Amino acid sequence: MQRDWADIWGGAVLAAIGLGVAAWAGARLDFGTLRAMGPGFFPTVLGVALAALGAAIAVPAWSRGAEPAPIRLSDLAAVIAAILIFGLGMEWLGMVLACFIAVLVASIPAPRPGWLWRVVLAVSVTALTFVVFELGLQMGLPLWPDP
Amino acid sequence: MTALEGIAYGFSVALQPAVLIYCLLGVTLGTFIGVLPGIGAMAAISLLLPITYYISPEAALIMLAGVYYGAQYGGAVASILLRLPGTPQSAVTTLDGYPLAQQGRAGVALFVSMVSSFTGSVLGIVVLVVLAGWLSRAATAFGAADYAAMMILGLVAASTIGSDRPLKSFAMVVLGLILGCVGTDVNSGAQRFTFGQTELLDGINLVALAMGLFGVAEVVGNIRDAERTGVPQKVSFRQMMPSRDDLRRMPLPVLRGTTLGSFFGALPGTGSTLSSFLSYAMEQRVSRSPERFGKGAVEGVAGPEAANNAAAITAFVPTLTLGIPGDPIMALMLGALVIHGIQPGPLMLEARPEMFWGLVVSFGIGNFLLLILNLPLIGIWVSMLRIPFRYLYPAILIFVCLGVYSVRESGFDIAVVAIVGISGYLMALAKFSPALLLLGFVLGPLIETNLRRALLISRGDPMVFLERPIACGFVIATAALIVLTIWQGWRRRAAG
Repeated sequence: MQRDWADIWGGAVLAAIGLGVAAWAGARLDFGTLRAMGPGFFPTVLGVALAALGAAIAVPAWSRGAEPAPIRLSDLAAVIAAILIFGLGMEWLGMVLACFIAVLVASIPAPRPGWLWRVVLAVSVTALTFVVFELGLQMGLPLWPDP
Repeated sequence: MTALEGIAYGFSVALQPAVLIYCLLGVTLGTFIGVLPGIGAMAAISLLLPITYYISPEAALIMLAGVYYGAQYGGAVASILLRLPGTPQSAVTTLDGYPLAQQGRAGVALFVSMVSSFTGSVLGIVVLVVLAGWLSRAATAFGAADYAAMMILGLVAASTIGSDRPLKSFAMVVLGLILGCVGTDVNSGAQRFTFGQTELLDGINLVALAMGLFGVAEVVGNIRDAERTGVPQKVSFRQMMPSRDDLRRMPLPVLRGTTLGSFFGALPGTGSTLSSFLSYAMEQRVSRSPERFGKGAVEGVAGPEAANNAAAITAFVPTLTLGIPGDPIMALMLGALVIHGIQPGPLMLEARPEMFWGLVVSFGIGNFLLLILNLPLIGIWVSMLRIPFRYLYPAILIFVCLGVYSVRESGFDIAVVAIVGISGYLMALAKFSPALLLLGFVLGPLIETNLRRALLISRGDPMVFLERPIACGFVIATAALIVLTIWQGWRRRAAG
């Protein structure tokens, strides 16, 4: 039988986060009293509430069917990789190279074959970024690799 | 300050060249984002949040607001031409807008939508001024307990009204409240969930969180889906001329839509999507020929479009006068103000008149600009619908990164965007609302502060929430909502 995995996993993860938060806050932070709440009061209460809500979502989902939602892991991977390449690579690759590579990577899952348009797109986005952020807003980004 | 003096003062703020330019930038970008299916107003506002660090708070608010109501205009374009709602608020417009376009009357549908949007907005501005003045006088009597109770009502309302899975919605609100706890506790100085990261001492960066949840997650979700759009027909300004019969059918639906929209926009937790649906249902009910609905009834476009625009304006009432955002988009606006150290509240009209009156007047100017942008220049926006998403999203990603990076040049924030982006995509996929998470995140610290203060004043006696008449009213409303939601769920299970 096809179960409602989205809710089972979603509820379970939320419940786990809730328990973790409540445990961490309970152990590390002062709970205080109702009159003088400590820093741990709010997180502990919320953590317990989230754990309860997560369980209430996950448990009924076990005996219920649902159409599985298609996860596009390759799209997700390409987008996240592009963000990390650009955001973290800017320091040592320079903005120009980082931007060019990031756009190429980001365009991998786009539904149109061929590499030429991807290269043209990467060059245009890099040029646009240079014009807007460097010439226009003068952000002072590192442009080329640090020798 | 009387309303007339205020408006005169507002003109002196909103007509400053720099402010005017940001207003134009906001409404243009809003229309653009609204026209394009796949990227919503939340993502666009997140993208612009970093700019707000560099400009004056009133210009920032005016620009972000422009994106929001501009998107309501643009959203109708894709709804009418392609039956693809550009924004959730314009989903109803597909019902009669698209049939009109199929009958070769796309231009008329666009005209009706734009003019109704404009009228709804302008009437909404009047309601905003009246309600805000009244509410900020009433709200000076509010104490900490009243604020806490009202915010909790807002969160419960946002996660139950119009939600088919209130439990999931509420869980996201609670997760947002927990994320809002991260950082240094204001009262005790204790570090909560920082795990030794100095970047987390001030809490999770709102810009990084919003960009990850909306910018990244929406891009991933739409790489393939947004490509399936058909080719829109060409529309010229000349084709937009309505017939006398069309014009005759517009005024009453627009008035009814504006009334509904103004009311639900100002009510926390409901907002413009709900009001456009309600307006459509109402038009169908009061119509003498309800069978025309769904086949190209002008009333079915006019009412909802007026409603969602009026709601977009009056949504600022609780945000500006109480400091409480009624929906996630308002939470982002509030976040932008907090970045500038401004905490809106009942005193804002008196203490920061440039913010309130500048915004009110900019609504008028912005809507006028939108009318120009969307009537004579409609052809440009329609041709934008032809740009495939694949040419746009890599640039959007680069702008997301640069925006986050520019705030404090920290690789940590980029990593946050990546992690939040992955989670946000999975949340959207499993139908857990990331928008409600953001609402909880912004309201969390406010609720905690007021809750602590209320219980400190009452010496730890929780009865304070029932003894104060204002707080008691909110508590009763919250309880009623919860009971109603449980009852509905029970009835649905009994029926299915």
